[in-house]
Amino acid sequence: MIGGKSSVQRRQAILTHLALGLLSVVCLLPFYWLVATSLKADMQVHAMPPVWVPHPVVWANYPKALVYIPFLHYMKNTLFICLMTVFGTLLSCSLVAYSFSKIKWPGRDALFVLVLSTLMLPGQVTMIPIFAVFRWLGWIGSYKPLIVPSFFGSAFFIFLLRQFFMTIPQELSDAARVDGAGELSIYRMVILPLAKPALITVGLFTFIGAWNDFLGPLLYLNDDSKYTLSLGLQQYVSQHGQEWQLLMAAATVMVVPIIIIFLLAQRTFVKGIALTGLKG
Amino acid sequence: MRSFRLLILVIIGLGLLLIAGCSRYHTSGPTQIIYWTGWSGHELEIQRKLVDRFNATHKDIHVKLLSVFGSYQKVTIAFAGGDTPDVLSAVWADQLAGYAMRDALTPLDQYLKASNRTSSEWAPGVWQMFQYKGHTYALAATTNTSFIAYNKDIFREAGIKSLPRNIAELDEAAAKCTMYDSNGRFIRYGFRPSDLVTWAYVFGGRWYDPSTGKITANDPHNVEALRWMASYSKKYDIRRMQGFESTFGSDQSVSGPFFVGKKAMWQTGEWVDQYVKRYAEHLNWGYFPLPYPPGGRPNAMSLGGSVFVIPAACKHKKEAWEFLNWICGPEAVADFCEGIGNVPPLRAVAESPRFIKKPLFAFAGNLISSKNAFGAPQMPIWPTYKQEIARAEDFAVYGGQDPKKLLDAIQKKMEMELADAMEGRK
Amino acid sequence: MKLADPQSDRPRMSRSAKRDLRNGLLFASPWIIGFSVFTAYAIAASLYYSFCRYDILTPPHWIGLKNYSRLIVDDEVFRRSLWNTLYMVIFGLPIGLVASLALSLLLNAKVKGIAIYRTIFYIPSLVPAVAVATLWMWLLNTDIGLVNVILSKIGIMGPGWLTDPKWAKPALILMGLWGVGGSSIIYLAGLQGIPEHLYEAAELDGAGPMQKLRHVTLPMLSPVIFFNLIMGLIGSFQYFTQIYIMTNGGLQDSTLFYALNLFNRAFVDLRMGYASAMAWILFAITLLCTLLVFKTSAKWVYYEGGASK
Repeated sequence: MIGGKSSVQRRQAILTHLALGLLSVVCLLPFYWLVATSLKADMQVHAMPPVWVPHPVVWANYPKALVYIPFLHYMKNTLFICLMTVFGTLLSCSLVAYSFSKIKWPGRDALFVLVLSTLMLPGQVTMIPIFAVFRWLGWIGSYKPLIVPSFFGSAFFIFLLRQFFMTIPQELSDAARVDGAGELSIYRMVILPLAKPALITVGLFTFIGAWNDFLGPLLYLNDDSKYTLSLGLQQYVSQHGQEWQLLMAAATVMVVPIIIIFLLAQRTFVKGIALTGLKG
Repeated sequence: MRSFRLLILVIIGLGLLLIAGCSRYHTSGPTQIIYWTGWSGHELEIQRKLVDRFNATHKDIHVKLLSVFGSYQKVTIAFAGGDTPDVLSAVWADQLAGYAMRDALTPLDQYLKASNRTSSEWAPGVWQMFQYKGHTYALAATTNTSFIAYNKDIFREAGIKSLPRNIAELDEAAAKCTMYDSNGRFIRYGFRPSDLVTWAYVFGGRWYDPSTGKITANDPHNVEALRWMASYSKKYDIRRMQGFESTFGSDQSVSGPFFVGKKAMWQTGEWVDQYVKRYAEHLNWGYFPLPYPPGGRPNAMSLGGSVFVIPAACKHKKEAWEFLNWICGPEAVADFCEGIGNVPPLRAVAESPRFIKKPLFAFAGNLISSKNAFGAPQMPIWPTYKQEIARAEDFAVYGGQDPKKLLDAIQKKMEMELADAMEGRK
Repeated sequence: MKLADPQSDRPRMSRSAKRDLRNGLLFASPWIIGFSVFTAYAIAASLYYSFCRYDILTPPHWIGLKNYSRLIVDDEVFRRSLWNTLYMVIFGLPIGLVASLALSLLLNAKVKGIAIYRTIFYIPSLVPAVAVATLWMWLLNTDIGLVNVILSKIGIMGPGWLTDPKWAKPALILMGLWGVGGSSIIYLAGLQGIPEHLYEAAELDGAGPMQKLRHVTLPMLSPVIFFNLIMGLIGSFQYFTQIYIMTNGGLQDSTLFYALNLFNRAFVDLRMGYASAMAWILFAITLLCTLLVFKTSAKWVYYEGGASK
């Protein structure tokens, strides 16, 4: 970059801010609605025309919402599942993606198409046989069906990481190989560090997926002491006499940790800007 | 190489993960009964209290409650694998015949007899709901009615002197209550019928004939009912009605259309009482049974709701029955229905002072005992059939399609489906 | 290890090729093991079900191709649901792809506070579906919804969105746009990996922003675009959650999508065999489309890594 900020760059920056700012407002609307509703009094929740600013602001909805279900307990359960799943996914998917991108072997591409095709069959029709397998293994009622499969790779993330690994120049691996490094070392020392943004993305998406997963815990857990937050959220939904403001309060509390994690992960995003290329 | 061996170790580790089984613990002491319910929220809370009370008063049985949040998948998968709970209240009355036909449920006849429960305890329409091919497969703790709630002030304003008793009077009252502004848009409308399943009964039709085992979707009375429903779309211009309806607030809020006078009449059930108390305390309202045409049925309605069953794979049938019997018994039913504002399906409870003292519940209690209160037809494909009926209603009311053609199509389709379902079965 | 079998003329696999095969399989083994244990049986079972009458409560029994013939010949609802889904694929997918790419370019700008913007755009993916549905049903309200209010301010009379069968699907596409932040993040990760020196070299050659986009950004991003295209394709074919909550396939079947129809057949009608046949038809269609994209990918996807494919 030559010199300091020129007027062209400043204009660009202003335009960018303008565009992003406008879009942000639209984007944030539902989230604002979520939080605003969580602070409303019963009467205002479904008022038509909608009430945009709650008056009075009912902060009491939050403590009420958090004791309605065993919130902290469910959060603990959910965190456990999420962290294990992230670990398993990152480990297994990066290994498998490495095989599909950095090693050339016969049958590789056919196998890759097979991996992808597992995503194309709607889950509704495999639900029952998969449940049968878990049953045969004796895992129903535990967290195992939710955690263990993540250690065996997930097609979505394998695909994602494969694409990213393929953008890393082959010359780097070749150079390491010439130096006598084995595949595992190349995987560990060369590829993984360069794919940091992709790995963080995978970790983030996995965490959020596990955090919000509803059907998995519902099907495999039979004890509500093991329940997760997403199941707990359903507890606020009732046929008669729904308490929407409590539901929104609980939903907000569920979303806020993720937002924080995302903000933090972002910093590593920026820091981990890959200096790929043949610079020096 | 070291790293190679490391990889092997990792793979062995994965293999071990697979083999590790779930620890099985066994409890001695009271028989454990697993009870799954589809309810969540408020209803679940009350069920929990009831379960606790049962456990406290029955030391030899321990009931473990779990909510499955109404998930079809969890329930059917449990049946597929034989991992069903001992008592289940996540089955709709609509689905009962389908499950019973496939021998997935325990017939309750012998247990009812041993516990001295008789059919006369229940409203006849409700009792019918529990049956399939002459056996009882379920009991219920709740039910609801349908009737028309009306705004007394609007009726007075519109000069309606007596409550509509037949369709002609209903149409007239609806027209009188409807008001437009200077631009021709609705300020309020009188009424708009919905729920074809129920109105078909009102008009004297039916969806299935148990004596012949035949589908009767295109029964002329059904067609007439649908035609009448579609007539409102033509008379009041359905597009305008939809536009007006999109300004309605939720029925469970202060902006509910009935509460703010946008609707003069509302086809609803007895559970609406809670909402009125909560959101429209000062509303001056009344109720009357569904009006019927000449040749139709007075006090007709369709009953439904969730039922309690014991899956066939249950290993502790005696204890499961003891719990089921209790939770569908007078004490538990009274508490549950009062808590959620439903009318009790047990006649003794419905006629007890606790409920009778509220005029609405006295009225509702009477309605459910009517001989024209129909439960779900005892045939296995009723959930599918119901979906098709709803689609037909959608196409006739909003799409202006011909009712007779729509119902003829359903007739053919359901005949085929029923034949498929009954293939190779009794 | 011998390099060549002395008893034959043809050379066997070279030592390095053998080693590559071994390593390739080893690294891929977690997936292979997982597939063999968990997935393979389930896939085979669902294929078997598709040739059976299976009501879940009793064991399946074989009926040959009846499910398939009934679906293709007799089932009008099936055809309608297929069309509805194809609509989302043909219209919703391109719009979504372009929007998320454009957004990610904006979010890659080096302005202050960009991290906050990125977070803001990702939030929609985090908000629970039930809250999203409620809010959008209000936003798209015919009379007083914000969308139509704004349109009326610029002189356009907004349509009935979620009450008009003709506008229901466009309404859903609009809703989907709100959630593009998710795929934008993936593009962002890709954008981070584009080496700075390429842009510098382009600038030295006199390239303006549009040329930089065309000749540096897009080609370098093509592997990620490829990913989002395939995943978007697969995802659009299985579109389910939002309409399950909002319309449940109503509005005269205009929002009855394939996956919802499948769910109803499987778990409400208890016709798992029929639903399995539907699933396998969808599988075939999706696979076909995906392979088509793969075939064309050689022309436009560029891997700097230089590995084949």
